Amino acid sequence: MAGKLLRMDRRVIFVLIALATLIPLLRPIGLPIRISPEVKQVYDYIESLPPGSVFLLSLDFDPASKPELYPMAVALLNHAFKRDLRVIGMTLWVTGTGMAEKVVSGIASEHGKRRGVDYTFLGYSPGGTNVIINMGQDLAAAFPTDHYGERTADLPVMRGVTSLRQVNYVVSLAAGTPGVESWYVYGKEKYGFELGGGVTAVIAPGLYPFLDTGQINGLIGGLRGAAEYEILVGLKGKAVAGMDAQSATHFIIIGLILLCNLFYFLTPRVGSRSVGRAQNRPGSPREAGR
Amino acid sequence: MAASVLIGAWVAAGLTLCMFSFLYKDNPFFRFGEHLYVGISMGYTIVRIYYDVMVKSLYTPVIQEGNMWLLVAAFLGLLVLTRFIPKVSWLSRISFAVIVGFGSGVAIPRIISSNILQQVQGTLKPILGNAGQSLFGMAQFNALLILIGVVTVLIYFFFSIEHKGPIQVAARIGIYFLMINFGAGFGYTVMARMSLLIGRFDDLILFGSRDYGYASVVLLGMIAFGLFMWERRSSVSPGPDQDPRNADSNARNEYPPQ
Repeated sequence: MAGKLLRMDRRVIFVLIALATLIPLLRPIGLPIRISPEVKQVYDYIESLPPGSVFLLSLDFDPASKPELYPMAVALLNHAFKRDLRVIGMTLWVTGTGMAEKVVSGIASEHGKRRGVDYTFLGYSPGGTNVIINMGQDLAAAFPTDHYGERTADLPVMRGVTSLRQVNYVVSLAAGTPGVESWYVYGKEKYGFELGGGVTAVIAPGLYPFLDTGQINGLIGGLRGAAEYEILVGLKGKAVAGMDAQSATHFIIIGLILLCNLFYFLTPRVGSRSVGRAQNRPGSPREAGR
Repeated sequence: MAASVLIGAWVAAGLTLCMFSFLYKDNPFFRFGEHLYVGISMGYTIVRIYYDVMVKSLYTPVIQEGNMWLLVAAFLGLLVLTRFIPKVSWLSRISFAVIVGFGSGVAIPRIISSNILQQVQGTLKPILGNAGQSLFGMAQFNALLILIGVVTVLIYFFFSIEHKGPIQVAARIGIYFLMINFGAGFGYTVMARMSLLIGRFDDLILFGSRDYGYASVVLLGMIAFGLFMWERRSSVSPGPDQDPRNADSNARNEYPPQ
């Protein structure tokens, strides 16, 4: 029995995971979501900003990270527009330009905000981290025109904003580098704005030391962080909808890890032999590794 | 619904299912989707760079605003292309020297300041509470835990002395901290990958609705039928010119049934 389970075709696990994802998406359970302090800190800081403050959202990701970071962008933009902040959108990732523009302009139009007056999307500028340094010295030099071809310096939304020093709050939604760390290293430390981060779950553990030292004032990590922010804003969207599926898949994975370890220790000899034999079968690790 | 949205939904659903078909085994649908992704990503990047870099950051400032100094940067950029001409390829080193020199000059002080000095500062928090605070609360416990973790992990990576006695104990504790770190990292990675899966499933459910012409369901059926036909053809005509990547599908017949 244990030997058979250890030799189980990988595709059985794929089917289990697929079902654990699909069923909660079709029939939501509504498991409770607790708000973590690091997410609340981002929310509280935006709440504390007076209307008209400058909020810069850097969407440093591409469509590959959309399921995690897009809901964060939607929730943050909704919050910022509700608070009547001046919103500046931009991206350091060229492949994310179209998607970033779509979410910024889409949420702005839902709130009846006018482009150039209440918000703008600066688009992409080449240089990665150097763009941040350039923005700290002269924002209009880094982005002479916005994504739509309007001169940045002439935009009403940019009134009084000549560099990053006049930005009240920056949030980088990042899937890698350049991202939150770059904004801290090359931006916050020198130009003195407050910085928050929203990141994929993969890179979230690496940013907790920055949170602990106060180098970033809050952190939204992964789909769970996005779901927490949606609840804080009172706008249950795709992240909240996905949390049941997330919990179900985690439950399956934890169960499989426990079972595999249990069977492995119960039948070590069968395990070592069968793993060697199972490597060439379809659905085996060797085949998947090709 | 606009035709462009409908076409987009069918393309998205089809390509998602093509990529998922790899979970069965490597197959032509997966390879088609994979190659298409690489090509489109590159094409999109080139187009965006043309407009955002060549037009917006070079052509317009030089021609319309007269910022001629940008031509220096453009010239340095062009020098990189000399890599393709062996006789003058040494010229590209000038550009690389500028990139490396500037990059190092900008990065080193900033990285030392934020990733080392401030992190060390964060590690050395008060172990006991200040006046007006509890002497030993959770914050102090966390500070102590971080301090022990940092010190023991550093000892583990200290190879100049033999790991014996107290050093061995400290190094062992360091290993436990590292293991917990790896476990947390793995847990977060699982969460991230599942989130991506949820995102795709979410779209597939949406595209499987009547509004989108049951795109996901129809395409799933088509790909499943295609895989069946491909398998059948592979098993009927295995020849010497067969794609070596399909070798496993033949190899599985060598194993006895379980």
